Amino acid sequence: MGSNSRAASAAPSLDQLSAATQARMYKPRGPWRAAWSRLLRNRMAVFGGLIVLFFVFLAIFGQAIAPKDPLYQNLLRLNEPPSRDYWFGTDEVGRDLFSRILGGARTAMLVATLVTLISAAIGTVVGLVSAYVGGIVDSILMRFADLLLAFPAFLLAAFLNATLRPPIARNMERFATETGLGFLGNRQVVDFVVVFGALAMVGWSGYARLIRSQVLSIRESEYVEAARAVGVSTPTILRRHILPNSLAPIIVAVSVSFGNAILSESALSYLGVGIQPPTPSWGQMINANLDQWRYYPHLVLIPGGVLALLILGFNFFGDGIADALNPKQRKG
Amino acid sequence: MLALIVRRLLTFIPMLFVLALITFVLSYYGPGDPVRLIMGENWSSDEVYQSLRSEYGLDRPLLVQFGDYLLHAAQGDFGRSYIQRVSVGELIGRALPVSAQLGLAAIILIAVLGIGLGIVAALWHHRWPDAAIGFLGVLAHSIPAFVLAPIVLVTLVLKLKLIATPTGWHGFFSVQTFIAASIIAAGPLLGVIRQTRTSVADVLSEDFVRTARAKGLTEARIIGIHVMRNALAPVTTSLGLTFGYLLGGSIFVESAFSIPGLGQLFFSAIRTSDYPLLTGATIVSAFWIMLMSLVVDVLYGLFDPRVRLANG
Repeated sequence: MGSNSRAASAAPSLDQLSAATQARMYKPRGPWRAAWSRLLRNRMAVFGGLIVLFFVFLAIFGQAIAPKDPLYQNLLRLNEPPSRDYWFGTDEVGRDLFSRILGGARTAMLVATLVTLISAAIGTVVGLVSAYVGGIVDSILMRFADLLLAFPAFLLAAFLNATLRPPIARNMERFATETGLGFLGNRQVVDFVVVFGALAMVGWSGYARLIRSQVLSIRESEYVEAARAVGVSTPTILRRHILPNSLAPIIVAVSVSFGNAILSESALSYLGVGIQPPTPSWGQMINANLDQWRYYPHLVLIPGGVLALLILGFNFFGDGIADALNPKQRKG
Repeated sequence: MLALIVRRLLTFIPMLFVLALITFVLSYYGPGDPVRLIMGENWSSDEVYQSLRSEYGLDRPLLVQFGDYLLHAAQGDFGRSYIQRVSVGELIGRALPVSAQLGLAAIILIAVLGIGLGIVAALWHHRWPDAAIGFLGVLAHSIPAFVLAPIVLVTLVLKLKLIATPTGWHGFFSVQTFIAASIIAAGPLLGVIRQTRTSVADVLSEDFVRTARAKGLTEARIIGIHVMRNALAPVTTSLGLTFGYLLGGSIFVESAFSIPGLGQLFFSAIRTSDYPLLTGATIVSAFWIMLMSLVVDVLYGLFDPRVRLANG
């Protein structure tokens, strides 16, 4: 990705610099094309990507293709094994497990996307502030990030969920009645805020460290020095030089964290502090039926298998992206 | 070496202080009135309420309570459990040895399997054994412990009828411990395999390995002595990174198999909103993880004299 550096050092004035850079930006990008074709050649990555795409499809259209209402309880047919009527069987209150699994796909994909986006956003802001302000602010922020990295994130997230849910629910209900924004008092929305918030609060530190180190190293490079020498402003340097050059490691970090977010949410729901029923969540389905594994193994194995399949897809895809973007340090 | 250990131990103090502050404030302000939680359904009168409030010391200002908590926690006293009405320190004291043994069994499995498979993958670099190990590693890493536990139970107990349902703690050398430890080990295995594979493959391309081969040493001797000595140091670091996973894994495995360890304690504390127990278990586990990662760093220094010299 040295194209920007050549443009910057060759151009004598600011106008020509941005024109030259622009011209290059709209051309097909060599390194990205190469990474894309490396990704497509990696069979495991393509396999993982297809699994992920399949679940994206289920998350969007799952409710439309669900054969039954996921909340309807047929109390005459409890805990049935898979049959022609109920493809995945029925659960402990007679709901269609197949339709519940489809609903869980939407929850899982929502968690993966939102938790990753929120953590990456917080991490980016903290990393940028840390790198640009420096000094005491930098050391306090980074000590805090270290603290979060040192402890098992899952433990802290479970703790946050267990303690913060009641006050957040209380305050959101009050806020909802005061402002008339009724949806904020909805239990499902409260759940999402608590779970996503807790996971993002323990998940941003890795991104902050990454962004900070990227900014610090790229800022010292010759082409940024040259850009600064010709009077390019800091926001423009960030947008034109630092962002495009640190994109690859950020994409790798993001692609790895989707699977982790799903794993963490299902683990929290398994402990009973994640997404609350009746919102469908695979982890909570496993938890609700674990002590019945002897008698109704399908109620544990089916949600578990689906969960593992999606995480597997994300892991293969994420590893493929990491390999494609860092051809020098291949992992597996 | 001693100076390094002392310096690292000193950094524990501010970290534990911040962690204790965060967890204490959250459990104080978070869930609402703890006295109501203790009384539960047995709500009788305001007098009982007030006496319970002063009995648990909840009528004092927050900072006084926190200072008091810290002073006692430093001596191993984490208050009384809301639900079980016994000392949290005692509950943790009983659970910790079980979890430590389970964790030790898991770390032994991770080390043996991870290093072994990593070496195989490095020797057959980019050929089918390497690809197969990589695939199985990602597969094991992708199945959460709370999914793997019921899969193993259904397979071994219902389908193959090999064992009865494993519950409780049966000592370090038992089938139950082996099964539980294997489930905990499945997730973190991948990191150790990859680290071993990379560092063994790196060392294999060094000049001194070519020299050893030219001298006519056997391949076993080259791998066992020359390569492993140089490749093991980074592997110890990756083993150290697995301690956090072990704790997370033990929460699920101990709850699925009813093993009376720290993870089980954590699980029941969360499910019953037992905040003193939850806070105590969190602080003790964090301390435990920090201590283990220090042990790993010391081992790293023993393996690699260059690190020892650099750190003084």
